[in-house]
Amino acid sequence: MSFVPEKQVFKSSIDVLEIGTGETSVKLGGQSVWPLYAFDGPLVNPPRVGIQISDLGCAGAIAGIQDYYADCADIAAQTIRAAEVPGAEFVCLILEGADPNGADRSVAETVELVKTVAAACPLPLTIAGCGSAEKDAELFEALAEELEGRNVLFLSATEDNYKALGAAVVLAWGQKLAAESAVDINLAKQLNLLLGQIGVPNSALAMNVGCAVAGYGFEYVASTMERVKITALGQNDAALQIPIITPVGTDAWTVKESMAEEADFPEWGSREERGISFEVATAAACLAAGADAVLLRHPESVSTIATLIGLLTEGGE
Amino acid sequence: MALKGLDIFKLTPKTNCKDCGVPTCMAFSMKVAQGALPIDACPHMTPEAIAQLTDATAPPMKTVHIGVGDAAHTLGGETVLMRHDKTFVSKSLYAVRLTDDMPAEVIDARLTEVAALDYERIGERMTTDLLFVSHGGGTADAYVALVEKARTAGRTLVLDVTDEEIAKAALAKVAGAGPVLHGATPDNYEAFYALASDADVALGVRASSLAELHDTVEALEKLGTKRLILDVGCASAKEAFAGAVQIRRAAISGGDRSFGYPSLVNIATLAAGNHHLATALASLFTLKYGSIIVLEKLDYALSLPLHGLRQNIFTDPQKPMKVDPGVYPLNGADPSAICAITCDFALTYFVVSGEFERSGVPTNLLISDAGGYSVLTSWAAGKFTASSIAKFIAEAGIEDKVTSRTLVIPGKVAVLKGELEEKLPGWTIVVGPNEAIQIVKFINELSA
Amino acid sequence: MGKFIVIGERIHFISPVIREAMLARDPGPVLQRAREQLAAGATYLDVNIGPAERDGEDLMKWAVQVLQDEFDNVPLCLDTVNQKAIEAGISVYNRAKGKPIINSADAGERISNVDLAAANDAIVIALCSKAGVPVDNDERMTYCQELLEHGMELGMEPEDMWFDPLFLVIKGMQEKLPDVLEAIRMLTDMGLNTTGGLSNISNGMPPHIRPIMDASMVAMAMQSGLSSVIINPCDQRMMETVKSCDVIRGNILYADSYLEI
Repeated sequence: MSFVPEKQVFKSSIDVLEIGTGETSVKLGGQSVWPLYAFDGPLVNPPRVGIQISDLGCAGAIAGIQDYYADCADIAAQTIRAAEVPGAEFVCLILEGADPNGADRSVAETVELVKTVAAACPLPLTIAGCGSAEKDAELFEALAEELEGRNVLFLSATEDNYKALGAAVVLAWGQKLAAESAVDINLAKQLNLLLGQIGVPNSALAMNVGCAVAGYGFEYVASTMERVKITALGQNDAALQIPIITPVGTDAWTVKESMAEEADFPEWGSREERGISFEVATAAACLAAGADAVLLRHPESVSTIATLIGLLTEGGE
Repeated sequence: MALKGLDIFKLTPKTNCKDCGVPTCMAFSMKVAQGALPIDACPHMTPEAIAQLTDATAPPMKTVHIGVGDAAHTLGGETVLMRHDKTFVSKSLYAVRLTDDMPAEVIDARLTEVAALDYERIGERMTTDLLFVSHGGGTADAYVALVEKARTAGRTLVLDVTDEEIAKAALAKVAGAGPVLHGATPDNYEAFYALASDADVALGVRASSLAELHDTVEALEKLGTKRLILDVGCASAKEAFAGAVQIRRAAISGGDRSFGYPSLVNIATLAAGNHHLATALASLFTLKYGSIIVLEKLDYALSLPLHGLRQNIFTDPQKPMKVDPGVYPLNGADPSAICAITCDFALTYFVVSGEFERSGVPTNLLISDAGGYSVLTSWAAGKFTASSIAKFIAEAGIEDKVTSRTLVIPGKVAVLKGELEEKLPGWTIVVGPNEAIQIVKFINELSA
Repeated sequence: MGKFIVIGERIHFISPVIREAMLARDPGPVLQRAREQLAAGATYLDVNIGPAERDGEDLMKWAVQVLQDEFDNVPLCLDTVNQKAIEAGISVYNRAKGKPIINSADAGERISNVDLAAANDAIVIALCSKAGVPVDNDERMTYCQELLEHGMELGMEPEDMWFDPLFLVIKGMQEKLPDVLEAIRMLTDMGLNTTGGLSNISNGMPPHIRPIMDASMVAMAMQSGLSSVIINPCDQRMMETVKSCDVIRGNILYADSYLEI
């Protein structure tokens, strides 16, 4: 009997999140099939790739990244250069400099910096906080107002600040918000429900369900993402029918194997190659498990993952 | 796969004749489904129906053994599509490709790389698992010579050759080492079936489409072999991914026994010359159903994330990954460096050691045997308590290995401080932060 | 196993408010009860129009259209002995949110409702009885088999036949309740769907006892595999139990707010 592949198309679909405006705007989600299974049905929107830059510039980054941005005089120039990386569909500015345990830049100072980035950025913009729930709430409230009309995605709201952020970022200023839950699927659902209860629609939300670098407990990430998708699509659970966005670049460059100098581990070879490898391997695994967008640091990783997505989805449906 | 009563009922005569000793055909079906009665307790079942039911209860995917001795591996035998449903049992194997049309120095370089890649990660030895030896069009002698050379690496070989005579010549050299013969095509399968069964090796099968692959597998099964490995195709990455998923899904959830075999994904062809793309594809196919993954090369840069990912994905979701208890000197710590202790859950170890490494402060990280659980879980289970820590420090001879007598304990078990001070005379117990992310700041301040 | 399906039973001709509204074709009270039941977590709504011998066809069409127009094609369970009324209802029924359910067939006279379901691509509730209450589970399963065979001969998918084991009343037939649970388990093991009017078990008990007894029964029945139930979803204890059991069975992903959705 001749083999005819079964097509698994769900009756439910992931809601579509749009960030940015006009011709460059980017849509995430929309599919009624398992992640990347273009052979089952249309992906509607293929997974997206965003490029991460830091408000602290690229001091401390790997030489290859520094080289790429070498002739950029300021953060605005870096933004433009980042947007030029083949395959980058949006830019993610990380507000590391606002970290109260680090440079602790003030809200006013950060707003000024973000304004120059936003003015320069030719692609949709996403803004990642410094990790302090309190400071991020202050920053995002101010930035959401300042960037009104740009349709910016802010990541991330947590259990500690979702109320303030949902109200300000989405309800008051019409921007988009990602809710963060560290590989805790019950919390992921709960945060979406809580945001829904204060009036934030699914279409304004993304989820950062957590990330772990390949080799560092990635099984939790894989299972969390897979369970999110099977619950959203298979059980038609509206509270999880929200696109997943996963920051990979930040963590991939901080594990021991991508930090260690070649001098200390000569057999491991080039540090830059190791870092790219961790970033690419982790991002591909995230896409296989269910991420609708990944955020990457190194231009080569961005292009590689964009190529991968293109190859897996080429010829459209 | 467990059968529902309904599946059995559909095949019964539905006459309620009671010849099986049960009042109705429905009740009979239920008893068979529960395993309380054998199917042949019904004298009226047709042989076809019995064959159908026997087939339906067979495991969905065959287990295929390849190689011998240290180089032996198991492929297949999976029962689920997602790792959290039940453990994936046979991890992906990574193969490096050698071809007879490669320059000799490239072959040598690859073999040197294969020999150099050898390390341990959380109790598992990481190396290139297999060598994929391709016949690139050269003479039989050239191919056989390459096979013999590859054999010296001590890895199980996959013989990528479709010419019967050349395959026969190569097999003659290595048959005893349990290679994979890859192998059969819709044109040569009869001859390759004979070669593989004579040599008692697993047979790889390839075709130009999944339908053709399925037909060829069915033909091979008719000849009498169920020791197969299916090539998912390498026309494009998209087709290969579709092939890997559709083959596995047909086997596991579709009950299609002819696709119930391990797979082979040839990334060396799919991403020829693009090492970073190969990295992405290798990662993708490690998550999604690649049993043998063939690469152009496997260096440390690729192996470190890929083998780590494999270790994560193929871990038993019911069993935590553990690191060995002991002293782990970080940032070049000597015996006088400050000590910090945590439990042996691999994830805890990685996160905590990573943060200490980020701090740059020399630290001796002590890993106590805590059953492979996280700090609070093992504490609650009585496996990370003042007594168990004191016992560990005594039994592991920590006081002989380090000279420092300052011990940082996780903030989450601050409650242990007093008791530890009693049980560890001479030690200063310092309560560390609650979260790993606060370690850098904490340890810098402590050592300032 | 899919998510547990609650069929709300409160649109019933036996209720004076509903009867009057139906006779007068006044949508208000019908929609009100529908809204309450949907808010409480019902998936399907049962629409009982009584025997409806005279104008059943018109009445069922009216009820289907009024409800589906107001509540985004809410799936309905059409409940009357008047087969023509059911056919009329199905003729205007929108399947976007689920097939219509015919309530109900049995292995006796009403087996023709299986034919009706087969002819109209509907789900049918199939009572495991012929005339009166089955004496034991052998008898139940015999009826089940008759119904199943009949449906399969007519080309029905077995999953479109929802078997009702008959929830017997505790006051009077207490000793039969373990049989009911066992029947649910057997039907589930067969791979069949199950449903039924569960609150019958507490008939005749004081009002403050009934919700306790019903909730306990639904928990035990769900543990035995019950896939659906016909109840009053506005019984808070019942719905809390159903949702909690469905979390435990793994059909709903837990979140702290699970009772609120």
